[in-house]
Amino acid sequence: MTTTDQRTNQPAAPAVPPAARAIDLRKTYGKGDAVVRALDGVSVEFEHGRFTAVMGPSGSGKSTLMHCMAGLDTPTSGRTFVGEREIGLLDDAGLTEMRRNQIGFIFQSFNLVPTLTARENITLPADLAKVDVDQAWFDYLVEQLKIADRLSHRPSEMSGGQQQRVACARALIRRPDLVFADEPTGNLDSNSSTEMLSFLRHSVTELRQSIVMVTHDARGAAYADRVVFLADGNIVDELLSPTPDSILERMKLLGT
Amino acid sequence: MRKVVLQGLLAHKLRLALTALAIVLGVTFISGTLVLTDTLHNTFTTLFGHVYENVDFVVRGKAAFADTTGDTGAIRKPIPQSIATTVRRIPGVAYADGSVTGYAQFVSRQGKAISTGGAPTLGVSYVTNRQLSSLHLSSGSAPTTAHEVVMDAGTAQKYHFVVGDRVRVLLAGPPQTFTVSGIVTFGTANNLAGATIAAFDLPTAQRLFGEEGRYDAINVLTSPGADKQSVEHAIAAALPSGVQVVTGQTVADEQANDINHALSFFSTALLVFAFISLFVGAFTIFNTFSITVGQRTRELALLRIVGASRRQVFRSVLAEALIVGVVSSLLGLGLGVLAALGLEALLKGFGITLPSGPLVFETRTVIVALLVGVGVTVVSAISPARRAVRIPPVAALASYRADDQESSRRRITTGSVIAVLGVAALVAGLTIPAIQLVGVGAVALFIGIGMLAPVVARPMSSVIGRPLARALGISGRLGRENSMRSPRRTAQTASALLVGLALVSAIAVFGASLSKSATSSVDNAISANYIITASATGGTGQFSAAVADAVATVPGVTAVSSVYQGEFEVRHSLSDVTAVSTDHLSSTVILRMASGEGAPALARGELLIDTTTASSDGLSVGSVVPVKFAQTGSSTMRIGGIFQANALIGSYVVGDRFFLAHFESPLPVAVLVQTEHGDAATTHAIDRGLDSYPGIKIQTRAQYEKSQQAQVNQLLGLVYALLALAVVIALIGIVNTLMLSVFERTHEIGLLRAVGMKRRQVRVMIRSESVILAAFGAIIGIIVGTALGTAFAASLKQQGITDIVIPVVSLVVFLVLAALLGLGAASWPARRAAKLDVLTAIATE
Repeated sequence: MTTTDQRTNQPAAPAVPPAARAIDLRKTYGKGDAVVRALDGVSVEFEHGRFTAVMGPSGSGKSTLMHCMAGLDTPTSGRTFVGEREIGLLDDAGLTEMRRNQIGFIFQSFNLVPTLTARENITLPADLAKVDVDQAWFDYLVEQLKIADRLSHRPSEMSGGQQQRVACARALIRRPDLVFADEPTGNLDSNSSTEMLSFLRHSVTELRQSIVMVTHDARGAAYADRVVFLADGNIVDELLSPTPDSILERMKLLGT
Repeated sequence: MRKVVLQGLLAHKLRLALTALAIVLGVTFISGTLVLTDTLHNTFTTLFGHVYENVDFVVRGKAAFADTTGDTGAIRKPIPQSIATTVRRIPGVAYADGSVTGYAQFVSRQGKAISTGGAPTLGVSYVTNRQLSSLHLSSGSAPTTAHEVVMDAGTAQKYHFVVGDRVRVLLAGPPQTFTVSGIVTFGTANNLAGATIAAFDLPTAQRLFGEEGRYDAINVLTSPGADKQSVEHAIAAALPSGVQVVTGQTVADEQANDINHALSFFSTALLVFAFISLFVGAFTIFNTFSITVGQRTRELALLRIVGASRRQVFRSVLAEALIVGVVSSLLGLGLGVLAALGLEALLKGFGITLPSGPLVFETRTVIVALLVGVGVTVVSAISPARRAVRIPPVAALASYRADDQESSRRRITTGSVIAVLGVAALVAGLTIPAIQLVGVGAVALFIGIGMLAPVVARPMSSVIGRPLARALGISGRLGRENSMRSPRRTAQTASALLVGLALVSAIAVFGASLSKSATSSVDNAISANYIITASATGGTGQFSAAVADAVATVPGVTAVSSVYQGEFEVRHSLSDVTAVSTDHLSSTVILRMASGEGAPALARGELLIDTTTASSDGLSVGSVVPVKFAQTGSSTMRIGGIFQANALIGSYVVGDRFFLAHFESPLPVAVLVQTEHGDAATTHAIDRGLDSYPGIKIQTRAQYEKSQQAQVNQLLGLVYALLALAVVIALIGIVNTLMLSVFERTHEIGLLRAVGMKRRQVRVMIRSESVILAAFGAIIGIIVGTALGTAFAASLKQQGITDIVIPVVSLVVFLVLAALLGLGAASWPARRAAKLDVLTAIATE
């Protein structure tokens, strides 16, 4: 359940349940000859308070893995947990509540409701839950993400980088147990990417958030504490304290 | 969630506007009708209240029949003049004087008989007592001699008569000329809902209306300070049997009720059309919301991911509908006031004049308009809202591909069931008959067909589109492909037009059948060469009895037969009875006897009935039935013969002498003239012979048939005009859907342009799609409508619709018109599509 953090040589995090967990997850599509095994028995744990990256070539099943673990898709067999709660046992009301309070999402694009302002987009999870936003936390996030001057603008009036930063704020506004990020820097230029990834790193290191990021960008994955490699529906490798070079090397190895 | 809904609405104002327009139009129609009805009701009630406010009591004959819903209201016998003397002697009575009414029609300076629309031409006696009189002199003085008459202000103004002018008046007897001694108003109005008024002094009026020594009513004023109740009792005690005394208020209420009863028919008819428009609008709302939910799939899924519950999503879609509904209904309410004025003008254009007064805007109108407008909008949005709920959160991710195989089998089953139930309700409603069932059945049938239409959408679009594809090249081909690729979308868009055209076709079939049947019944009932009727449209249809005598003297005339119509009670229910001359009966009238005798039985004072009545009432030749006439009371009659049913003749026939003996001063409604030759010379001779009777129309049988057809066509025209609104709403729906569809295909259109399609070709593509859509809806609509119209006509076989005609030419015209309208509807979306900036379009997802 715990591992030593080789980078910082600190003692591993105390015995807190993992932010998310999958046990023998399988997902198949189609029948007979056309059957596709997107996930072929994946078991993995994502630690609390850690930044984990999930990498793999197209068709490796990394997006499917994230969808199943986030409760967006139903696995063919296997169990998934967010914190202590088993997703497979939740009904729609339970899933909805989980999405409001325990999980945050950041996508590659189309994160924001086009007709709402940035401020309204950020407070949306709280509004849906009909609770007040933690104003101090809101101000902190906005200041950290440098979007204070964009709060009253609509997504169409913001650059890609700004939109993604607003999305980050929305994902974190409820201080969720876990943030799922699906290729969050896919549409960004290198500057915006760096800004965003730095913030994600900061939120894990300083604010004890847990983040799982699916990506195929080696530089981005290097911000993580741990990289998990998928291929053909299985976890094939793992790398702690990654750097861009070590990631690329490991990927070359997998490619053969 | 509220913010999401509001911002969403504001962001898509255009989409909102077009959707709302459909509801606005429907609600406008409803509130306009209600405002008009309320205004008229108020106007008449006020008018009569004002007129009778000073009359304390009215003494009159009791109503002859218990059932007073007949055409002429309650029929009362005139009362002897001596009763007035009796009443005057009763203590507490300050004044009592009699009045008579009868037929009197003015003739204009050009020689035309004057009447307005459907209103009667009233002849009355002038009541000299200022308090009692309902007429107020605006100029001149009361008539005092036998040669003076007082004219209503409306006629005077319209036909340029002033005090001192001479005017010809048509009467029961030969026409006479009078001097206009004064101009009057009825209460505060120029005339009573268009009725003209000719007032003579009492003795003259009694003579002219054939009521010497009698009054139709006695108006009573009580002395100031008298106890009205005891005076009333005293009067009642002094009256002979068959005569009653009622308060002035009672009479005012009765008269107002009579007119309102007639008006309620109009308001009901208008409301039916208003609801049809809203029904069509409902299809449009359903469409729009379906499409927009589809377009917002990603956005709605995103909301779900961020934590919106299913209920919140459902409610947000309904909230949008609610807001649209409320705003539209409020707008429609406001416009309804304007519409009321428009409706008045429309009715006037078709010959129905109504008195004007201040517009009455009741709370009831507001409530109905809001309820109906909001109700229709929200109910139409329920199904799309349910679909929105089923959007899985994962749809927010770009990798998601929607599985569009929506439960089509379930839709087909449900649609078939609903359609079959609808047909059952229709058939039941037509046979019972129960008009509400017909309405419910029709609604269900249309909903069911709307659900089944997607099944045939693809093959039909393919067939309809083939000539377009061949003629218009790649654009036509793509247009055809587009309408084929989502049959559900095509069918939904076309449904509203389908309903509109179905109704129009049904009316066309019904109207054509009605028209042909009218002609047939004339041919089957009349053998005379010429038919003389009153020229005034509406009114009582009666004219001077002297006409028959006059035409009999014209050379070439071999037989003359007068036709009368009245009401009587037979077997304790109120019915119409027709009377024909027994002399020369066979020359002028065709009575196909099924059993018994014709003319001889009539001459003996016996009753003839038609085959339908005989079989439904179980009567045969020789049966004796109880009858009651207003003037002569109860007695019995023997059935002398049974004739083949004919709508023109009616169910009951008596001889003319019998009629004259049992009805008070009857006037003919038609005179049938048989001549040696039916040529122009004879026509000319008859015209000349009847020169001094301007209130009549002389037609050959063929001309008469044509005028019957013209009447039907006039009514049809009005109905088409009222249905036009529904068609307009349907077209708005098509424009709306096309716009949304163009928006959806922005990327695809951008691609086509990038690959080399010209702007004009894009426009042609959109336009051909629209034409195929419209034609598809029209064809199905016409087929359904023809079936409906045929069924409707068939169900009225007993009531006289003997022929069923399918006006193929009209139907084809409708189809072509629909296609053209579809073309027009596409012009704006087509232009929008062609103007898309290529680069932006390609970049759009």
